[in-house]
Amino acid sequence: MKTWALIVDTWREALARFTLLGFLAASVLFLLILTFAVNLDIVDGTLAAGTLFGQALELHGGKPAIDQVVTTGLSVFAGMLYALGVFLAVFATGSQVPHLVRRGTVDLYLARPVTRTHVLLGRFVGAMTLVAANLAFLCGGVFVIISIKTGVWNLRFLAAAGLIYLVFLSFLGFMYLIGVLSGSTPLSIMLPYALYLLSMPLAAHDKIEAAMDSRFWAGVVRALYWILPKTAEIGRDMVRLVMGQGGPSATLLLTTAAFGLGCLVLATVVFQRKNF
Amino acid sequence: MTIDVRGVTKEFRSRARRIRALDSVDLTVRQGEVFGLLGANGAGKTTLVKVLLGLSSPTSGGVTLRGRDPRQAGARSRVGYLPEGHRFPDYLPGGEALRLFGRLSGLDEAGLSKRIPELLELVGLSERGGDRVGRYSKGMTQRLGLAAALIDDPEVLFLDEPTDGVDPVGRRHIRDVLLACKEGGTTIFINSHLLSEVERTCDRVAILHKGRIVREGSVEELTRPTLRFRLGLDEAPGSPLPQVEGVAVAASNGHLEVSATDLGALNRLIDRLRGEDRTIAELTPMRSDLEDVFVETVQRET
Repeated sequence: MKTWALIVDTWREALARFTLLGFLAASVLFLLILTFAVNLDIVDGTLAAGTLFGQALELHGGKPAIDQVVTTGLSVFAGMLYALGVFLAVFATGSQVPHLVRRGTVDLYLARPVTRTHVLLGRFVGAMTLVAANLAFLCGGVFVIISIKTGVWNLRFLAAAGLIYLVFLSFLGFMYLIGVLSGSTPLSIMLPYALYLLSMPLAAHDKIEAAMDSRFWAGVVRALYWILPKTAEIGRDMVRLVMGQGGPSATLLLTTAAFGLGCLVLATVVFQRKNF
Repeated sequence: MTIDVRGVTKEFRSRARRIRALDSVDLTVRQGEVFGLLGANGAGKTTLVKVLLGLSSPTSGGVTLRGRDPRQAGARSRVGYLPEGHRFPDYLPGGEALRLFGRLSGLDEAGLSKRIPELLELVGLSERGGDRVGRYSKGMTQRLGLAAALIDDPEVLFLDEPTDGVDPVGRRHIRDVLLACKEGGTTIFINSHLLSEVERTCDRVAILHKGRIVREGSVEELTRPTLRFRLGLDEAPGSPLPQVEGVAVAASNGHLEVSATDLGALNRLIDRLRGEDRTIAELTPMRSDLEDVFVETVQRET
């Protein structure tokens, strides 16, 4: 009952602050464009003709197999949704912890016979369900629309949606840590974006290390690479996964998940010990 | 003891210096008692309540709430709290805010469906229970806060400035609710600036000054008769009084107010008046009210 109360509270807050509706509106717009702007004419398993926003597509090199077109198209969508999904999800959940820990509110929650860990993790689960529903709507919608339009059901795209969710959860753990430490909504939104951008070039950490004179700083770069989420590599490998060319390694996934989990554990410990 | 505080000290670090908000506080509150904690702004009242509820940990010393450490979640079962400057989730209607905190208190849906309308009725918000908290006035929010504090029929109730921002009618309403809780055996701990409210509601009070308990006792004890008396003489006003060592006399609101250093000095004055064949029509011991006691105590300690 207590966990349920916290999950419902998270949803009601997201609904009232229009973050949920904003996420849904952006998703619906994307899906409508996909539904009505793209028209494909498929003949004998090949793409005979197509239009995008009413403009005829020029098919260079003959009529490509529709399987190949769908796979390429979905890999492009997966790359777009990776950035868009994480961006929207961070924005939708960034204010949760700062609103919880503000003076006058946190007292009302923590004076109840419920542990602090329960309160924080209950809200975390609420955010997980919120973003899972949104991503399921957005990615599921893209999958269903493309599949119905083409008759090609590429289930690997759904695995890509799972990867987007995993990366978001890693960022959510980080957001919770920032929220508990600072109580600031702007910081809880900006720092995950900064982390996202910082982690991108670290994919080339071996080249950066080789170019450095200082062994100490090369070590720092290597440590950062192993500690921070592997956003660039997971994004790249997610596209390859949709294309049927393999997927991200377990090391990439586990270290990214470990970062989020570590941040969440740290956030829980800080929240547990904090004086309000 | 329902609340037991032993040698609690609480220090905060602010930049380079340490601020001692509570300094070796000892306090007990018995079951069914209404206890008032008085203090000027910054005296440490809210800090003490937060320590009592486990929201803040003491730097040293210990606290028990019904024999348990309040930092354990179970110790806060059937404990109500109305924080000062509380901010309810403004996106929820009043009734739903009560449902949220009722659920967090472990109440079931059937119990809540019965309890919420009762509480809204009790605090005079039954007409507005469906409105969002963000649209409530300060006084309405305060009454909703009281309802939330009462959601799980508390055995112990902590109220931090419960009548803050509430008009006189609302204050009386809140006082009536608290007296009903007292009748029901609830232990009540009140932090308040409104000394007249405390005097009317509390059995026992303590004065907190710069983090230390500087005075404690029942309202009766603290406001006990002083060595000040109202004197009425059956004669035309303005006649000079005899000079007696240890007695000071001042005119106040058409009466004479006599301050004596002890009862012997007072009796010497009476003897002198009777010796001059003057008729004493009234001699009434004056009680100091809680405000006098508070101001006097704080000034003495400053």
